[in-house]
Amino acid sequence: MLASFCTLCGNAGNQCLLRAERQCCKTINHQMAHLRESSEKALKLLRTLPRVQIGNLRPNPNSKQNDKRGRAQHGGDKHGAGNKGSGQRQNFMRLGYETGNQPFYLRFPYEPYYKGHHMRRQYPPISMLKLQVLIDTNRIDISQPIDIATLCNSGLLSLKPAELQYGFQLTDDGLDNFKAKINIEVQHASEAVIAAVERNGGVIRTAYYDPRSLHILANPKKWFEKGLPIPQRMLPPQDAVEYYTDAKNRGYLANPEEISKERLVLAQKYGYELPRIEDDVNYEMLTAAKDPRQLFHGLEPGWLVNLVDKTIVKLKAT
Amino acid sequence: MNKITRAFIRVLQHSNNSYALLGRQLSYKSDLSLDKIYPNARLQLFTPPPPPPGNGGKFNGYIPMDKLEITYSRSSGPGGQHVNTVNSKVDVRFKLAEAQWIPEQTRQKLLQVLANKLNKEGYYFIKSDLTRSQQLNLADALEKLRTIIRAQELDAPTGPSELTLEKLRRRQERAARQRLQLKRNRAQIKAERQAPSGIDF
Repeated sequence: MLASFCTLCGNAGNQCLLRAERQCCKTINHQMAHLRESSEKALKLLRTLPRVQIGNLRPNPNSKQNDKRGRAQHGGDKHGAGNKGSGQRQNFMRLGYETGNQPFYLRFPYEPYYKGHHMRRQYPPISMLKLQVLIDTNRIDISQPIDIATLCNSGLLSLKPAELQYGFQLTDDGLDNFKAKINIEVQHASEAVIAAVERNGGVIRTAYYDPRSLHILANPKKWFEKGLPIPQRMLPPQDAVEYYTDAKNRGYLANPEEISKERLVLAQKYGYELPRIEDDVNYEMLTAAKDPRQLFHGLEPGWLVNLVDKTIVKLKAT
Repeated sequence: MNKITRAFIRVLQHSNNSYALLGRQLSYKSDLSLDKIYPNARLQLFTPPPPPPGNGGKFNGYIPMDKLEITYSRSSGPGGQHVNTVNSKVDVRFKLAEAQWIPEQTRQKLLQVLANKLNKEGYYFIKSDLTRSQQLNLADALEKLRTIIRAQELDAPTGPSELTLEKLRRRQERAARQRLQLKRNRAQIKAERQAPSGIDF
């Protein structure tokens, strides 16, 4: 056995006082000494243990199944069913039976927790932090209005209308550090989020798109390649009308004058000076809003976009 | 479409600021456009002026932000790296005597009520570190401020109404009547236990 000494404590490698913890000295010499020691130990074991034979080996765990047959001394006789009773007579009680009292699975006649869950509208979230990151990394162009099509075209966000996703909602994670002046249209936004966008001089609106329109907006290029005329957007369902006609939510069907007033109210509530949007250079871009029947900015329902010839076919006014 | 219009549209197509020109003149108006739903409303976004002072010299809720001094600092309490590094605590202060946005009468009342809370320079301050977010904490601080101002404008409690007072009086009289009746009954029972005196016959 090679003798090695720790350069710090001077202990011999195999006489280290704290050998159990192997933490005496952290020099390579000492660690190597411990390694050599364990290999010596293994060799010592091999010298003293009996020869490796089939009878000394054990199969890998879970490699062999129990070959129990219902015959002979250990598998036979009562066949694992015990003595007398319902067990041996194989007359078991049905699953869930509680020997007479009302079983748990029958106690509750009605559990409506998830009733209609398959019909509920879903709004996948986008945090303010994510939006800021997308803007800072030039994934989204803020010199144009932002809507579902813009967000999906960035390639980093996707919408699945078939899975009852009715659009995006802006969440308030990271709203303290949001610093971009944008014109954004989402499907839901909380009050704090609206305040965060407006305090930077931006404009936020909540708008409804019916599933067919969502399917078009989620991948506009693919849809235009079909060569179909642009359809018109439908109105929201009854339970959503109240939300989208409310100026507090900046709904697209709300009174624009009320929205202007609510902007001041929110500015007072959250304690910022409302920036004068009329004096902004990009006023036209920031206040550009789609018509309630419109899907794309600048394109009317009924127009047919031809991507190959790069033309737009419009219905002739009769 | 004549040549002039065609040229106009060609100019628009090549202009960078297309929104300025295409925005209002050539925008699409369907059956549900906002000017049809709200015919008399002002459709373009504008910044409304601050509201006029409330009637009867009451505080209307409007606080001019440039008159407040707002500073941010780090909050206390648990929260790890977030509470250690982010300035989420809000300190809002202003000179109470010079706050023209508070009506005169209310301001005088406040000066009396908050006299012990003002600092040497006459500043009243409100701090808030209620939430993790600076924005929400600022909203909370302003809400506290408005509550304090409005508390001074509440009328003194008027006490119970005449109807209630009448009810209470009737209840007390009824209770007295019942008590005396019981008392009389008891006295009679006790008197009947005695042997009749010569006076009764």
